[in-house]
Amino acid sequence: MTNNSNNSQVCYQCGTCIAICPVRRVVKFSPRVAIYDSNIYDTDTDVWDCLTCGQCVTACPQGVRLLDFFLDQRIGGEPRDIVHKGVFTELADLMTQLGNSKTTLLKGDDTAGIGYFPGCVDFHDMFFDLDMDFGEIATSSVTLLSKAGLSPKIMQLKCCGHDQLWQGNQEMFDKLKEENTRLINESGIDTLVVSCAECYRTFLMDYDLDCEVKHISQVLADADLGITNGSATAAIHDACRLGRHTGEYDAPRKAIAATGANIVEMQHTKENALCCGVSSMMNCNDHTKALRVLRMDEAKRTGADVLITSCPKCLAHLNCLKEEEDSEHGHDYPFEVLDLTVYLARKLGGGNGGDGGDGDE
Amino acid sequence: MAELVGAVAVAGGGIAGIQSALDLADSGLKVYLIESSPAIGGVMAQLDKTFPTLDCSMCTLSPKLAEASRHQNIELLAYSEIKEISGEAGNFEITVTRKATYVDPVKCTACELCLAKCPVKVLDEYNAGMSKRKAIYLPFPQAVSRVMTIDAEHCIYLTKGKCGNCKKVCENDAIDYEMKDRDEVINVGSVILSTGFAPFDPTELEQFHYEHLDVVTALEFERLLSSSGPYVGHVKMANGETPKKIAWLQCIGSRNPEIGRPNCSAVCCMYATKEAMVAMEHDSELETTIFNIDLRAFGKGFEQFYQRAKNETGIRFIRSRPSGVDIDPVTNRLSVRYEVEGSTETAGEEFDMVILSIGLTPSESSKKLAEIAGIEMDEYGNITTAIDAPMTTSVPGIFACGTIVAPKDIPDTVADASGAASKAHSILASARGTLVIERTYVPEKDITDEEPRIGVVVCDCGINIASVVDVPAVVEYVKTLPYVVHAYEQTYACSTDSLDNIKDVIKEHNLNRVVVASCTPRTHEPLFQDTCRDAGLNPYLFELANIREHCSWVHQQEPKLATEKAKDITRMSVARVALLDLLYTQKLDFNHGGLVIGGGVAGMTAALDIAEKGFTTYLVEREPELGGLFRTFTRLQDGRTTTEILDPMIAAVNSNPNLTVYTGTTLDEVEGAMGRFKGKLSNGEEIEFGSAIIATGANEFEPEGYFGYGADNVITQSALEVKLDEGTVDAASVVMIQCAGGRNDERPYCSRVYCTTAMKNVIRLKEEDPERNIYVLYRDIRTYGVWEELYTRAREFGVIFMRYTEDDEPVVADGTVTITDKLLNDTKFEIATDLVVLSAPLVAPEGAEDTAMLFKVPVDSNKFFLEAHIKLRPVDFATDGVFLAGSAQAPKLVDESISQASAAASRACSILAKEQLETSGVISVVDADVCIGCGRCVEVCPYGAPELKEVEIVTEEISYMTRKSEIDPAICKGCGSCAAECPTSAITARHFTTKQISAVIDAFAFTDGSIEEVA
Repeated sequence: MTNNSNNSQVCYQCGTCIAICPVRRVVKFSPRVAIYDSNIYDTDTDVWDCLTCGQCVTACPQGVRLLDFFLDQRIGGEPRDIVHKGVFTELADLMTQLGNSKTTLLKGDDTAGIGYFPGCVDFHDMFFDLDMDFGEIATSSVTLLSKAGLSPKIMQLKCCGHDQLWQGNQEMFDKLKEENTRLINESGIDTLVVSCAECYRTFLMDYDLDCEVKHISQVLADADLGITNGSATAAIHDACRLGRHTGEYDAPRKAIAATGANIVEMQHTKENALCCGVSSMMNCNDHTKALRVLRMDEAKRTGADVLITSCPKCLAHLNCLKEEEDSEHGHDYPFEVLDLTVYLARKLGGGNGGDGGDGDE
Repeated sequence: MAELVGAVAVAGGGIAGIQSALDLADSGLKVYLIESSPAIGGVMAQLDKTFPTLDCSMCTLSPKLAEASRHQNIELLAYSEIKEISGEAGNFEITVTRKATYVDPVKCTACELCLAKCPVKVLDEYNAGMSKRKAIYLPFPQAVSRVMTIDAEHCIYLTKGKCGNCKKVCENDAIDYEMKDRDEVINVGSVILSTGFAPFDPTELEQFHYEHLDVVTALEFERLLSSSGPYVGHVKMANGETPKKIAWLQCIGSRNPEIGRPNCSAVCCMYATKEAMVAMEHDSELETTIFNIDLRAFGKGFEQFYQRAKNETGIRFIRSRPSGVDIDPVTNRLSVRYEVEGSTETAGEEFDMVILSIGLTPSESSKKLAEIAGIEMDEYGNITTAIDAPMTTSVPGIFACGTIVAPKDIPDTVADASGAASKAHSILASARGTLVIERTYVPEKDITDEEPRIGVVVCDCGINIASVVDVPAVVEYVKTLPYVVHAYEQTYACSTDSLDNIKDVIKEHNLNRVVVASCTPRTHEPLFQDTCRDAGLNPYLFELANIREHCSWVHQQEPKLATEKAKDITRMSVARVALLDLLYTQKLDFNHGGLVIGGGVAGMTAALDIAEKGFTTYLVEREPELGGLFRTFTRLQDGRTTTEILDPMIAAVNSNPNLTVYTGTTLDEVEGAMGRFKGKLSNGEEIEFGSAIIATGANEFEPEGYFGYGADNVITQSALEVKLDEGTVDAASVVMIQCAGGRNDERPYCSRVYCTTAMKNVIRLKEEDPERNIYVLYRDIRTYGVWEELYTRAREFGVIFMRYTEDDEPVVADGTVTITDKLLNDTKFEIATDLVVLSAPLVAPEGAEDTAMLFKVPVDSNKFFLEAHIKLRPVDFATDGVFLAGSAQAPKLVDESISQASAAASRACSILAKEQLETSGVISVVDADVCIGCGRCVEVCPYGAPELKEVEIVTEEISYMTRKSEIDPAICKGCGSCAAECPTSAITARHFTTKQISAVIDAFAFTDGSIEEVA
C-alpha cells in the first residue's frame, strides 16, 4: 500500500493540527483527538471527516505523518457519505471486473516512450451537471504535449484507485493497482504523464512503478510552448495532491508565468493553501462547502481574472460554487476557474483564456 | 612533554567566559579572554531582568564586567577571533586575529564626541536591530573594553574615502584609518570554549510571520522591556501605541524535529513567564497569554515562580500550540487559532503583539571554532561531552562550558564555567603563579589633618533612578552640603569610563572622601572602593548612598517625594563620610586544605578536583560506603551502568595521595572561618581546613500515602531500576505516575530529574519486552534540553502518555489505575496494571539543617541549601570560604551535579591558591582597658570571632587574673553585633562607630537651613 509507515505515537498532543485544520473550522473534527483515541482507546472515530488535505502535516512540529495515519485508520472501515450516490466507486468496482477497454478517446503515438493517462474526466462530464467540459483537460493535455514535441501514447488504464484507497477500500485499490501496474509494464513506456493531481499522487506514492511518473505541469514547465499572449492576472490554487502531498508548487507557476501572465498569490498559498473542501468523493456537504467560500473569497481578493488548478475535484468543487453565485451575499466571483492544461491550450489557440475566454463553449 | 604554561585562553566573553576567566585569574593563572565582538557580556548583557527573582540582568552582570576588565591577571582581547590552535594539553599556541577597530584603545577616552558627528546610521545589534547606532560606536553603555570601534563595513571613510568626521573631532587623535587586522600568537596551557549560542532565526518558519512588525522574538522583546532599549523600557507596537494584549508562542525552533531541531531549549518557558510578568509590572492593564506544549519549570524556584505567575499575576497559560500567526488582510491585525485547553473546542483570538519564544541554537562561530580546535560535535552542532565529564571535549586540554554544549540557563552556565576553569586549573596546577603579576597601587596619600573634601557622584542608573528622581536637582542640593567640594551626575556610575572619571575627579579636586549615590553596596561598593584606592585614597573613605533600591524603585509613583528622599539619603551619606576613619587590611597566613562533606558523585568530584590541584583534602561521608544517591540508580541516560562511573571514581578518590576519606563518619563541630576552619569528626579526630564544600545531596522521597505506595506492586523509580538490573520486572502492564508527592503544598518544587529518569526507564522496560503496555501519567513532561530526545524515543516505542492535574489525581486500587482523561472530555479511564512506578520527588536529607548550622549557612523553605545568588553565584554561599554542589542545592541530573562539583572546587581553590588571606578593614575591635570580660560578645557573635582570654593584670603593687575579649580579625565580618551588645562600650565596630552612625541619624532628623521643606 503506502510507502510510509504511520508514526502517530510520537504525537505529543500539542494541538497544532487542530489549530490549522480547515475541517475543524466547519465541523467538530480533531486530528489530535483522532490520534489520541486510536493510540489510547484503539478506536477510529472521526477519521472520516478528514479531507486529507495535509495542512496538519506541514504544521506538525513532531513530524507526525498524519496522512498515513488517516489512511491506516480508514483501511477496512466503513466510509460514510460518498457523494453522487457512490457512482464513481461503483464504476471503479466495475472496472476491476472489465477486461482491457477498447475505447480510444484520443489519438496518440503508440510507439512513444511517454504515456499520457487522462484519468476519469469523461465520467466527471457524465455525472456533474456543471457548465464546463472536463474532457477538455484530456484534449488540451495531448495538444500541449504534442506542441512540446512529445507525442504520447494514450494510456487505457483503469481508475487509479485514489478515491477507493482514501475511502478505506484497500481490496479494491489493490485490484486496480495490480491491473494498472500490469498495463503500464506491458506498454513499455518509461514515463507516465498525468494531468490529474490525484492520479499523480497515487501513481507516484501508492504504486511501485518502474517508470517515471510526472504531472503534466512538470513537463510543461520546461517546454517551450511559444505562448506570449498571456496577459491575464492568474491566481493559482495548489491542489493538495500536487502540492502538500508531493511537494510540487513551482512547476504550475513556471508554466503559467512563461506565457507572460501575472501570477498573484492568495493569502494562503503553496504549503499553506486552503483546501477546496472535498476529497475522495466524500464529505461534500454544507459544512465543507463553507471551505469553498473561504477559498473563493481569497481568490476574489487577489483581483485575478482566472483561478487555475490541477485537480478535477478542485475544479468541480470550485466551479460548483460559481454555479450557485449569490451576489446578494457577496458570493459572486467574476473570474473563471480553469484547469492548468485548459488555460494553456486555449492560449495556444491564440485565444484569451483569462477574461471569460473563448473556446469555453 | 612540552613545558606547562600557566595561562589559559578563554574563547567567548559572555557570562560563561567571564566566570571561567575570573576563577582562573583568582587562582593565579594568566587568562586571555577572547571575544569576537567589541565588548564582553554576551547575551546576558541584552537581557532586561532574570528569572525567577526578576533581578536586573545588567545590574548583576555589570560588576563582573568591570571586575574582569580590571583584573590584573586577565588580558582582554576584544574584537578578536581565534584563527589557529596547535600544540597539546599543557602547551598550546593560538593565533588570534585582532580585528582592526580603527581606534587607538590607549588614546580613546570614549568621550563620544565622534558619535555626535558620525553621519552613518546602522541597525544596532545590541537592541536586536530595533534602533540605530552610528558607524563608530560603543556596543552598550556599560561596555568593556570601553573604547570606540569603527564598523568598517558601514564607515563612509573606510568604504568610500569620504567624511573623516570622527578623526576631525577627536581631541585625542585616537582615530587611525590605517589600522589593519593583525595576528597575534599567544602561548597557553589550556583552552576553554564558551562562545555560547545564536538565537534561532524564526524567518524560516513562515507561518509565524516574523516579517510583521508586531511579531517579535523574545530577545527583541527583552530589549523593548529594557530601560536601555529602543524605547527606554516602554513597550510599543510598530504604530507607536501601547499593546493591550500580548501572546507568547513557545517552542519556536525547539521540540521541532521536522526542521531538524528536536531538542528543548530549556530556558524559553521561564523567560517567557518572566517577560510576561515584567511587562505586566510595566502596565498592570496588560493581558498576557503564554501558549505552550508543556510548561517546563524545572529549576530551583521555577515551579513556584510559575505558580505565582499563573495564580497571582494572572498570566494566562494555554496548553496548546498555535499553528501560526494569522494576519487580517484588511486590518493587518494579528490573531492566533488554538485549541481551548480541557475541551476540543477551538478559538481564534486577536493580539496586539506576538512574541516568538525562540530557541537556542549552536552559533556558526562556535561550529567554526570547534572545527579549528578539531573538536567533535553532535549532529546539531553542540560540542560532544559525556555525562560523567560534562566539560571535557574530545581534545585533551580543551574544555567547553555553557550553551556551546547544550541549551542551558544562566546558573547552569555559570556552574559549567567554573567547572571548566577547575579542569583547566587541574592540568596547570604546577604552573600556577608563574605568569601573573601582583597588583600594585599608587601610594596612599596622607590626609591626616586635612579637612574633609567630599566629592559626590549621583547616578541615573540609565532610567532606573533618573525616571523617578530628579537627579540634577539632587546634584544641585548636594553641592550646598558641608564639606562637599564637587558633585555631578553620571548615566551609569559603574561603567569603566565613569570609574576612570571618578579617579580623575579625585585628583582634580583633591578630594579626600567620596560618596556615590546609586544602588546597593552589596554589589557595587567594592568596585568604587577599588577606584578610590586606585586614585591613592584609602578605600574606606568611601560611602555608597542607595537611592535606587531604597528610593526610585519603591517610590515610582511619587517622583517629587522620591527626589526629596534621595536628597535625604545622600545628605546622610555625606554626613557619615566626613567622619570615616582610615582603615587597613591585614595579610594573614592560612590553612590551604579543603573539606568536602558528602561522598556522593558531587562530593567525590569536588574532592578529586581540589586534591588534583595539590591541596590537602578531606572527604567525609556519613554512610559506610561512597556513592550517595547515585548508588540507588543503576543506569545512566546514555545506557551505561552507574558502576561504570562510580567504580573508577571511588578508586581515584581512594588512591589520591592528597585526599583522606572518612566513611561512616560525620562532622560534628566546626569553628573558625575561611582560611582557619577547625572541625571535629565523629571518630574524635580533629581536622583543619581553609575552605569547605557542602555536597550532602538529596534522597528519594518515600511516597507514603501517595498512590497506594507500600503495596508490593507500587514502587519508586530507584526500586524499578534495581528490578530492571536484576531482570525481575514481572509485569505485562506498567503505569508510571509522575510528580508523586511533588509539586504540591508540602513539596512545591519540581524535582527536575524524574521526567528524564522516567523516559530512561520506560525505554528500558520496552527494550526488555516490547509487548509490555506502558502508561506514563504526567502533569507536564519536563525532559528539558537534549533529553527531549528520550521523550520522543519513549513515544516511538508506543508508550502511552496521559495527563492529569493536581486537583484530580489518578487513583491506584488493587490492580488498576483510574485516571480522568484531561485530553478527552474528562472521561474516566481505567488501566489494568501489574506494576505502578512512582516518580517521587528528591528531598533534602535528614540532617541538612545541622550541617547548615555548623557553617552558619542558610537553607531554603524546602531545606535545600541556599546559594549566595541564584544566577551568578550558584555554588557560593554568602559566607566566605564555604561552597555547595550537587543536589544539596536543588535536585539535579548527574552531569549537572558533576559540573557544579567541579565549579565548587574551582571556587574553593581560587581561595586556597592564594599565598595569604587579606582581612577586611571593617572589623570590630576591643578596647581591653574597658572590657570587663563578661562574655556577651562571645554569645552574640554569629561567626565565633570573639574569644575570652585569661590575662594577668599587673599594677604597681597588685596583680590579678581576669578575662578579656579578643576578636580574631580573620573571622570577624564586622557585623557589629558585639559592639551593640557590649555593656561597657568596649567594642567598636570599625566603619560603623557610634559617632558615625549618630551623624547619619542627626543628618536625617535635623535638616539645616538650606533645605526646603516639602509641602
